[in-house]
Amino acid sequence: MSEETEATRSGEETGGGGAGRRSDGQLRRALSALRHDPLALTGTAVLALLVVVGVAGPWLAPSGINEVNIDRMLEAPSWSHPFGTDELGRDVLSRVMVAARVSLQVGLVSVGIALVVGVTFGLFAGYYRGWLDNVLMRCMDVLFAFPVLLLAVAIVAVLGPGLLTAMIAIGVVYTPIFARVTRAGVLSVREQVFVRAAVSIGASDLRIIVRHVLPNIAAPLIVQTSLSLAFAILSEAALSFLGLGVQPPEPAWGRMLYDGRGFVTEAWWLGVFPGAAIFLTVLAFNLVGDALRDVLDPRQLTVSESRRSSG
Amino acid sequence: MSSTRFRLAGATLALTLAVVAGCSTGEGVDVDGADGAAAGGVLNAAIGGEPDQLDPHKTSAYYSFQVLENVYDTLVEPDANLEMKPALATEWSTSDDQLTWTFTLRQGLKFSDGSPLTAEDVVYSYTRIIDEKLNNAYRFATVKSVTAPDPTTVVVTLSAPTPNLLANLGGFKGVAIVQKANVESGEITTKPIGSGPFALGSYTSGDNISLVRNDNYWGEQPKLDGVRFTFVSDPTVALQNLRGGEVQWTDNLPPQQVPALRDGDDPTVQSVPSSDYWYLALNQARKPYDDVNVRRAVAFALDREAITKAAKFGLATVNQTAIPQNSAFYYEYAPYRHDPNQARQLLDQAGVSGLTMDLMVTSEYPETVTAAQVIASQLEAIGVTVKIRTLDFAQWLDEQSSGKFDAFMLGWLGNIDPDEFYYAQHHSGGTFNFHKYANPAVDRLLDQARTETDQGARKQQYEQVAKQIVDDASYIYLYNPDVAQGWSRQVSGYEVRTDRAIRFRDVALAR
Repeated sequence: MSEETEATRSGEETGGGGAGRRSDGQLRRALSALRHDPLALTGTAVLALLVVVGVAGPWLAPSGINEVNIDRMLEAPSWSHPFGTDELGRDVLSRVMVAARVSLQVGLVSVGIALVVGVTFGLFAGYYRGWLDNVLMRCMDVLFAFPVLLLAVAIVAVLGPGLLTAMIAIGVVYTPIFARVTRAGVLSVREQVFVRAAVSIGASDLRIIVRHVLPNIAAPLIVQTSLSLAFAILSEAALSFLGLGVQPPEPAWGRMLYDGRGFVTEAWWLGVFPGAAIFLTVLAFNLVGDALRDVLDPRQLTVSESRRSSG
Repeated sequence: MSSTRFRLAGATLALTLAVVAGCSTGEGVDVDGADGAAAGGVLNAAIGGEPDQLDPHKTSAYYSFQVLENVYDTLVEPDANLEMKPALATEWSTSDDQLTWTFTLRQGLKFSDGSPLTAEDVVYSYTRIIDEKLNNAYRFATVKSVTAPDPTTVVVTLSAPTPNLLANLGGFKGVAIVQKANVESGEITTKPIGSGPFALGSYTSGDNISLVRNDNYWGEQPKLDGVRFTFVSDPTVALQNLRGGEVQWTDNLPPQQVPALRDGDDPTVQSVPSSDYWYLALNQARKPYDDVNVRRAVAFALDREAITKAAKFGLATVNQTAIPQNSAFYYEYAPYRHDPNQARQLLDQAGVSGLTMDLMVTSEYPETVTAAQVIASQLEAIGVTVKIRTLDFAQWLDEQSSGKFDAFMLGWLGNIDPDEFYYAQHHSGGTFNFHKYANPAVDRLLDQARTETDQGARKQQYEQVAKQIVDDASYIYLYNPDVAQGWSRQVSGYEVRTDRAIRFRDVALAR
């Protein structure tokens, strides 16, 4: 096993080791690289803040999200309401904070669905090839052919609007990407010597797929996951904006943006703050995703390694 | 079936139309009045959406009637105070037993294509509505027969005295006089032929409907050469178009900006109280809403001022009954003050606690979504958890007619006679009594008032009806909204009407 790992280091990255050790090393190196990347650090910090607010939002929020107070409607930002109040006199800051949970929840669950289903499809399609590959991937192609939002809207139209259906819809929409990324990785890994070796000593298909193939395609999947989170959150905002996501009075950034649309001239704070929240979250996921790709992508890594050795 | 007399057309359609709005060319308008005798000109009007069709007997969309108001005539029509005045008919008389009404038509009436309009056309129009059971057939519930003894006389025979017959026959253009050939050719849905001040010039689907002056009009010739209706669903865009001069008139104004616009003088924005009302209904076929104490508890828990302010930005008058103050049938009665303690006591009396209420609203009427959130927060204060269910209107109507709701909020638009306000909604056999209210005393009064010919007695009966309905909290009435419309300084002679009828016949456009 250790020889295999050595071979990986000097040779082709994706053709690397059979088990977790290589990934551990790669991950350690990735983390150390991330620590020195200011953009990635900023992104990570924003995401950490987002997670804290998402988990503890209802306790951190200064007021209740549905505390309607008509006498204080459309008040500009002030010390008592840092983000102002909305058309029903509710505290915008509190609603933006609590809505972070919705966005995180939708992002994690929908990407989780896409990841599990897509990776499973990709692994089987890539490993077994043949008719299974054809059937699975042609189904993915059909899904892939639809514009993302159009497909999501169609699914919500069938299932009825709501948080759960929004998560399912976004999950389905992003499944083909994961299936393709996974399959592409599997196609090259399955030809490697260590896989053939595992076959020759009689390892079961499932064991080979889970223990040997999957760890070796983890890097692109991690990158894809972090980028998909950004797009999933954006899709959720779009669905909410169209009234197909979280239903009022529960807050969601997209929905708040929609409600603030009619007040652009009178109350800019209704749209600006939820809009900024969406912007920052998506930006943070993208920054982290880009940084992860830089350190995890085999080709990029090879380039940087070769530079290091030549320099 | 629509729960409003006019059903505002689908928002989805309107959404797509917003894209094309405001970029139309003048193509298709036949400007023939170039002799300079009349002031002339084509007025551009922005309305909120496209009519679903232009057959006045079949459409229920308000967008259609905004156009058709200027194309069609009725026997009689409401004036600014909603009193019935001569239109196609100049005079009418009633038999002593109140069962025979005789109308005399104007001499020489013509449709806009030049063909004569006679009593036979009136008979045809009414018979069509009655026989085909169209939207407004209920207005002819007591009509036994309609005949035309001669070309300018129409005789309507009734099965019971109907004091509000004039309102039924002339309340709005849904009972207009149509042309038989136009109906039979099927063209009425896109190219209707009427006898009104304007005639349909061209219809570009998704973009505009152009009307041209009808030279065969019986009344004073309109000053405008024509009117072009464009469809602009976004109120912010419509206001911009008005300010920018692309349109000279619109009723699609952002409600939150109306108070400020009203104070300015360019564009001119006016609002008047309408005869619409918005309400909350609780499903009495479901427990615990069959208990009057529970319904009254909800009525006491609501702060109508707050709901109205949130939903209409002050462009409405709080009312605990249906009929607005500007009506002769207004009845001042407001037994519910905002009192959460009283509400909690009533719930205790009913033995109800930890109640969860499903409140059905529709995104096609955004004010219901807004108001529902305020209602939810107010009911939370008395321990009732409200689950707001937002549906599209078609689905909403399905759920309503199959009784699958605890509560819903909606409005009725443009009613005139008290019978229209109460009968279909609160009679135990009423066609819009989806919340299953049944009170034999109210049924009896409603049946009686319907045929009561003494106006004083009739008003009293409807006051008793109103009081009982409010006490029973059959509908929990919230407010009467205002109608707000705006026009540019070039426009003169326009008046905002409480029944939302859009009339351009007396309008002139300075150039």
